[in-house]
Amino acid sequence: MILQFLNMGGYGLYIWLSYAFAALSLTVLYYVSVKKLNSIKNIEHLYQSEKVEEVTVSAQANRF
Amino acid sequence: MFGIFKPRTFFNLANTSIFWLKIILVFALIVGLVLALVFSPIDYLQKDTVRIMYIHVPSSWISLFIFLIIGISSFISLIFKVRVFSVYAKSLAPIGLVFSLISVVTGSLWGYPTWGTFWSWDGRLTSMFILVLTYILYVSLWLIIKNYNSAEKITNIVGIVGLINIPIIKFSVAWWNTLHQPASITLTAAPTIHSSMLAPLLIMFFSFCILSLIIFLIRYKYEIINFRVNKK
Repeated sequence: MILQFLNMGGYGLYIWLSYAFAALSLTVLYYVSVKKLNSIKNIEHLYQSEKVEEVTVSAQANRF
Repeated sequence: MFGIFKPRTFFNLANTSIFWLKIILVFALIVGLVLALVFSPIDYLQKDTVRIMYIHVPSSWISLFIFLIIGISSFISLIFKVRVFSVYAKSLAPIGLVFSLISVVTGSLWGYPTWGTFWSWDGRLTSMFILVLTYILYVSLWLIIKNYNSAEKITNIVGIVGLINIPIIKFSVAWWNTLHQPASITLTAAPTIHSSMLAPLLIMFFSFCILSLIIFLIRYKYEIINFRVNKK
């Protein structure tokens, strides 16, 4: 029964490769993103403690 | 006009919502995968390979939609000089790149048992390949160019020029003879696929949207902190 499910009517190789590629690439993307954020987490307070300027289309537009 | 897009709004959203988004993602992904791999019926033509569609189609939709946002954000950033929009675009680009790669790879893996070939240089496949190259160029430029202002300007131009490809991808199946079948789901007409196949497709699309949002919020948070700290 399990082998029949894995075989997927003879197309199992293509189906499982597709799902594996999607799972692997999305997992790598997620962990790379989390790792990047964690690498600067110790300086997050520099942003949090600041009074952030409003973004407008005026002369202030080039500032965050 | 652009006040709603201020950095603090999304920064706070990232802090408060990621945990709940992850819970929604797990439930949606489990339901979507079970429906796609177990309960979805076999297609009379594609047989079991129809199950690849449940990741191929949502990935294609998301990669196109993300590039549309990148293009619009680049335009606003370049014309109205609202820099936060280039941060949105920069944060979204790697997500779009990965989904466009998933679309192309899974499409090829579906194509071999169905069409008899992994690849064909027809309208849809070629325009999708150009989208992947545009994403690679966009992401690479941000990595290569060290001066933030220069990178911002050049990537904004790439984002705007790349927009031309979006309608070409969408209408390629109508404009040219292609191996790729026309869209089964459009915004203007009722879907032509059965509800038993539509349900897993939409749930997988929803799951991928949630995952994209989570990764976007994480990357956006990183980009905002990084930008402000490096500017000091």
